[in-house]
Amino acid sequence: MKKRILVVDDEPALTRMVKLNLERTGKYEVRTENQGSLAIQAAREFKPDLIFLDVMMPDKSGDEVSAELKEDEELSQIKFIFMTAIVTKDETESMGSNIGGHEFLAKPVKTDELLATIERVLGD
Amino acid sequence: MCLALITKTGFNVAWLKITILISCVFMFQFPVQTFAADARLDLTTDEKAWLKAHPEIRIAPDPDFAPFEWFSNDGSYKGMVAEYVQLIEQRLGVKFKVINAGKWSQVMDMARSREIDVLPALASSPQREKYFLFTKPHISAKGVIVTSKGYKTIQQLLGKRIAVVNDYVWDDWITHNEHDVDLYRVETTLAGLELAALGVVDAMVSDLASVTYLIRENGLSNLSVVPGIERDLELRFGIRNDWPELKPILDKAIASLTIKEKEAIRARWLYLEEHGFWRKPIFWYSVLATVAALLLLLTATIIWNRALQQRVELRTRELQNANVKLMQAEKMESIGRLAAGVAHEVKNPLAIIQMGADFLSQELPKDETTGEVIKDIDDAVQRADTVIRGLLDFSRDKKLERTVGSINEVIESSLHLVGHELRQRQIEVKTQLTDELPDLALDASKLQQVFINLFMNAAHAMERDGELYVTSQLKTLQQADLSRDTENRFNQGETVLWVEVRDNGPGIIDQDSSKIFDPFYTTKPVGEGTGLGLSVSRNIINLHQGSIDIRNHQQGGASVVMMFQLNREKQNEKTHTGGGR
Repeated sequence: MKKRILVVDDEPALTRMVKLNLERTGKYEVRTENQGSLAIQAAREFKPDLIFLDVMMPDKSGDEVSAELKEDEELSQIKFIFMTAIVTKDETESMGSNIGGHEFLAKPVKTDELLATIERVLGD
Repeated sequence: MCLALITKTGFNVAWLKITILISCVFMFQFPVQTFAADARLDLTTDEKAWLKAHPEIRIAPDPDFAPFEWFSNDGSYKGMVAEYVQLIEQRLGVKFKVINAGKWSQVMDMARSREIDVLPALASSPQREKYFLFTKPHISAKGVIVTSKGYKTIQQLLGKRIAVVNDYVWDDWITHNEHDVDLYRVETTLAGLELAALGVVDAMVSDLASVTYLIRENGLSNLSVVPGIERDLELRFGIRNDWPELKPILDKAIASLTIKEKEAIRARWLYLEEHGFWRKPIFWYSVLATVAALLLLLTATIIWNRALQQRVELRTRELQNANVKLMQAEKMESIGRLAAGVAHEVKNPLAIIQMGADFLSQELPKDETTGEVIKDIDDAVQRADTVIRGLLDFSRDKKLERTVGSINEVIESSLHLVGHELRQRQIEVKTQLTDELPDLALDASKLQQVFINLFMNAAHAMERDGELYVTSQLKTLQQADLSRDTENRFNQGETVLWVEVRDNGPGIIDQDSSKIFDPFYTTKPVGEGTGLGLSVSRNIINLHQGSIDIRNHQQGGASVVMMFQLNREKQNEKTHTGGGR
């Protein structure tokens, strides 16, 4: 069964690229959402195994979304990775991609790297 | 003069008589007839005849009775009485032969033995009336008590030791009135005053004029002069009592002195300082002392001034340095903000290009040209990303550049940088930084970032009038201390470098403490804090192999404790040495 991945970013072109690259592996079913405020609703409907979250979004920031996810009984088990421009590769590398208990991926990210991270996080 | 000398040196009486005789003979040879009594005196014929028969009258002043009469260093007869004597001498047309007897008791002895005819300044007393006839007084002065011990009346002096000049009227007066005091007889008024000033005697009894004159002339400072003697000193001419004819003559002469003449004499001797005070040594000593004091003050002022100037220069340099640092920090911060903004705006398109290229590389036929195009896109994205990262790294470099340094210096420089902010919020900083802590391998600018972050958090929490405590020390960890080692890095009994930053603000709200190190956690209003501060701080401390913990202090406020490992090698060396290897 395909793993479900939700990609939340206010940049539609980027979410489309991520979706294309992940789905063409045949392993994942991807849904995209371009508004932070709609992310929770999308998660409830789509029930993803993993969410990619942008941090700086105009209507609702990624960390607010993550806080709501953690507090929601139904959704608190969903893993999430911040994919953001606010950190650099140096930072994610020197800290083992874990800052304050959260996974981070620094934009721009190569598809290979993205896939490796997903596999690691989902324990495949 | 020669007579006085002979008397003092004790020649026998026969010799003395011969000398007097000789001097009389000498005198007779001078044209004494040129003297004639002033018509204004209204002398009787008998009186004129008596004067004619006695052209020379021997007088002996008190040699040491300023300002009334005394002999100056050059042997001349001075003072108020001396001037009266001179005036009377002119009025009567007689010659007063002035004899210097050396001291007052000698004057009295000589007068009693009739070697002297007239004493020009003598106070009357019953004892003296046995030997002298007294004219009306020509000068009077108040009797006073002079003391350094605060006595006010003669009654207070009963049983005390009182100085008087031997054979002065005060001696007679006290003895005659049988005042129960311990009389201490001195030779001169000045000697008595000095004993009173030194406290050897409890007081001296004398007259106001000579006392004020001598105190002023000799600069005696601790004496108080109080009235309290109900008797004035009245100076008269004392005439040998076998010369009664002279008394009315002298009374007439005294009465002939005008008020104007008397005032002129008084003014000359009693108010000396009004005429030529600059001639007195005491004046010049005062001037010298004042000038010396002023010079000293001037020197001190110049030195003080120079020291102040140096301090001002030093402070100005420090301020300039701090200002430069602050501007540098602000510049870095704005570059950082700009970089972050640019990075965000550029990285998203880069991410799209990157993933687009990744997708195309899979979808397009795998020919050489396509591969090269895809690789070129990849490289271009990497290059652009490197530039952006370089820009970001400029403001927040995540790699440590460690050098050996002092944690106290880092704390102090951080406090310095936020000093202005703290002062504006009227926050008092109380530091207790242990001297000579071992140096650490540290990245000073990174740790500075941590401390500035902690200080500013504390400042924001306290708002105004808070107290910020910063302590550093070596601490051997006890069981209880380990709870603050959030990274489980240290062991009980291990000595660590312990730094605490504490404030007296409201502390951490309980629900916050668990996620205070979360990367986006902030209590500040939107736009004031990114929330990254504490999580970045924690990462920096971790990179130093240290630990950081925040919790509420028992006495209120938040307490941040950081522990740093000491140089392990050194500790091991110590252990090994201790183990006897």
